Amino acid sequence: MIVDLAITLAKVFFILAVTVGFFAPVLTWVERKQSAIMQDRIGANRADIMGFTALGLFHIIADAAKMFFKEDFIPDGANKVLHTLAPVIALVPALLTFAVIPFGGQYNLFGKEVNLVISDLDVGLLFVFAIASLATYGYVVAGWSSNNNWSLLGSMRTASQMVSYEVTLGLTIIGVLMVYGSMQLTQIGAAQENFWHWGFFLQPLGFFMFMTASIAENKRIPFDNPEAESELVAGYFTEYSGLKFGMFFMAEFIEIVTIAAIVTILFFGAWHIPFVTTATLLSIFDFLGTTGSNLVLMFIHVGVFFTKVLIFIFIQMTIRWSLPRFRYDQIMKLGWKILLPLALANIVVTGVVILALS
Amino acid sequence: MAYYVNRNIKMTWWERMYILAILHGMLVTLRHFFGNLFGFIPFLLGQKKHREIFTLYYPEETAKYPIAYRGRPVLALNEDNLPNCVACGLCEIACPAYCIDIIPGENSGKQNKVERYPIAFTIDYAVCIFCGFCEEACPEEAIYMSDNCDISMLDRKKMKYNMEQLLVPVAELKDRMDFCRDMYGKWNY
Repeated sequence: MIVDLAITLAKVFFILAVTVGFFAPVLTWVERKQSAIMQDRIGANRADIMGFTALGLFHIIADAAKMFFKEDFIPDGANKVLHTLAPVIALVPALLTFAVIPFGGQYNLFGKEVNLVISDLDVGLLFVFAIASLATYGYVVAGWSSNNNWSLLGSMRTASQMVSYEVTLGLTIIGVLMVYGSMQLTQIGAAQENFWHWGFFLQPLGFFMFMTASIAENKRIPFDNPEAESELVAGYFTEYSGLKFGMFFMAEFIEIVTIAAIVTILFFGAWHIPFVTTATLLSIFDFLGTTGSNLVLMFIHVGVFFTKVLIFIFIQMTIRWSLPRFRYDQIMKLGWKILLPLALANIVVTGVVILALS
Repeated sequence: MAYYVNRNIKMTWWERMYILAILHGMLVTLRHFFGNLFGFIPFLLGQKKHREIFTLYYPEETAKYPIAYRGRPVLALNEDNLPNCVACGLCEIACPAYCIDIIPGENSGKQNKVERYPIAFTIDYAVCIFCGFCEEACPEEAIYMSDNCDISMLDRKKMKYNMEQLLVPVAELKDRMDFCRDMYGKWNY
């Protein structure tokens, strides 16, 4: 009982350390530096400690310090309670989704089965999207409570865009569900041990639609209409400053990680290395004993998983700095007229193929 | 003249998918990314003098400006440690912004080489427009546009440079001098 609790707490701590402690701050640096290098610039390199800049990594500390000490401003006529609550509503779902995302398989450590997921829900996939769509409330409330027309417009756009793309997102994963026959993310991950059974090969169209829809859900360029700088100042978080703004920022970066993690699990073989099965790896490290080999296997799998996550983060960043923003009507057209019928067709084709093969 | 953008461009079905265009755009950025990323490495290892990225770490590194560049005007200090300037006032007249202020002094004659010299020579860089007319007007090769352009002060009064601050040894202005002789020496340039 206590051991189980300790294991769960360790997993929670690990996930929090990875997302809030590592990815959220480091991605701010990655975004600046990657965009700079893409555009033939050098990027942030001014913050230094004793004349040592560490490629601009100290900007993370400088940013955090700046956000802590900035004035926490609430505009006149704003709804104080909701204005304060909104960033929390936006941030918490982003963190919560990680409760069901597995970052490794099952390992036999010291005679105990350790499952590298905080909570192995039967409806894990549904849980992710159910919780992720709760974040919309945060954005809508943020815009509405700010007493600012730009914010209100931004939050209206957020609402419509989220509704439009959540439909596609939901229909895209149905194809994956049909192929793997499970909603449990650990099972979907475990089913992709064979390289040719990766979701990308079984659901190629599904992957592209999922990627598009999830970037739209995250409100990043090319779908950043809710916070379009040139049109709406900063959209729904125009009136936010200090750490509240930082929370919106953090929610966005954690959602990038979430998207990358879900894409990895659903379409790119989760924690598996191509052409190397778990049994092979176990037999290689057999000389270390059951616990030893399982421990090595666990580290390899977690490493592979986060490598894949990093690759997808890189792809998302590349997309963000390559493409221009869509117009509002183009976003709606893409969502309802192109992605939705394609997603439906994908389901039909998947069903027909599964029927024909069985 | 007003012109109209033709928005009725007929695109094929494949073009309307935008997939090729998106991939092409990403290829361009990725090429720049990896080119610049690996372009850094020979520089860091010390095998190359220059980075592939041409942006400079500005205050630490400075760009070499072309010789025709007009930075702040400076006064030439000749080999005898005296200013070339004879306080004729031609630059003062040529200056469209009236930023030059000269107080002339006169030597009595025989014992000194120079008859006239500036007692005070002030240029107010807050007013200067860096046109280079002073350099063009000067008959004595005394005032030159240097390549120094980072003049920024917290106090406007500090933008007024006096003679000590303005004087620069002739050796440092050699290139610009040659350029000016070449440029303004023609009968009409």
